Amino acid sequence: MGMNIEIAKMIIKAGIQQAREMGNVCSVAVVDDRGFLVALHRMDRAPIPTVDIARDKAWTAATFRMPSSDIGRFGDPAAPGFGFNTQNWNDRLTTIPGGLPVQDGDEVIGGVGVSGGTAEEDVTVCRAALAAVFAAD
Amino acid sequence: MEEITLEMAEKMLEAAERWAALAGYPSSIAVVDKAGAVIAVHRMDGAGPMTTDISINKAFSAVYSTAPTLVLARMIDPRMMGPTPGSGGLGLLTQAKLRLMFIPGGNPIRNGDMKVIGGIGCSGVPDGVGEISDTTVVQAGYAAIYEEYD
Repeated sequence: MGMNIEIAKMIIKAGIQQAREMGNVCSVAVVDDRGFLVALHRMDRAPIPTVDIARDKAWTAATFRMPSSDIGRFGDPAAPGFGFNTQNWNDRLTTIPGGLPVQDGDEVIGGVGVSGGTAEEDVTVCRAALAAVFAAD
Repeated sequence: MEEITLEMAEKMLEAAERWAALAGYPSSIAVVDKAGAVIAVHRMDGAGPMTTDISINKAFSAVYSTAPTLVLARMIDPRMMGPTPGSGGLGLLTQAKLRLMFIPGGNPIRNGDMKVIGGIGCSGVPDGVGEISDTTVVQAGYAAIYEEYD
């Protein structure tokens, strides 16, 4: 099962539901396994920059196949990845928590990114969005 | 009606997607607010990756210029160039950090007072094939919120 618009809409709906329960306003973005945007919703009164931040987080999670918060460990000067942020191959790389890969079993089929609250709140919304969709399988 | 809510945007996307599906062309559709910032974007299954950004930029261009992107396309048409170099619209090409789109398929959304409160853009339906184009898809989109008009 790959990413499609129906799954993307379900993920976004669940995420926005969770954000609403927490009293947050945010943007939720879903990308496919190549990092291309499938769907994005911005809740009413959510700040404008959340749109692109959510999309960046989703891109990072989907293409690196890891949570966007894990990217930070490449910044360790002792690690071989040190300096990769200066290579300028993509504007979308972010280390802000709030982006998670969407997994069907072991396979990464896309990424979800949330922006609007604190880092912890964004991750909570991400998890809730994924749990609501993939618990049903 | 002063601004477009996420609920209205979803209603517009649903209607526009139905129209694009009817034409048989999977496409991307975007709704933006009066700042030109995205409220909602959908890329239908089978639509190319580039259509997402194009639809967003079409909607942005419609808000930014307060005119359909069809009009922008006419402004850079060489046949519309004036008698002196520079009197045409070519200078528009580099505006807005290259985000302006000159392809039909983005329309501004106006309220009862004719104030621009947002925009809607579609990309993926070829122009001039049959009766459905990107422009008619976005028109189907904003017709879906007609009951919001007072």
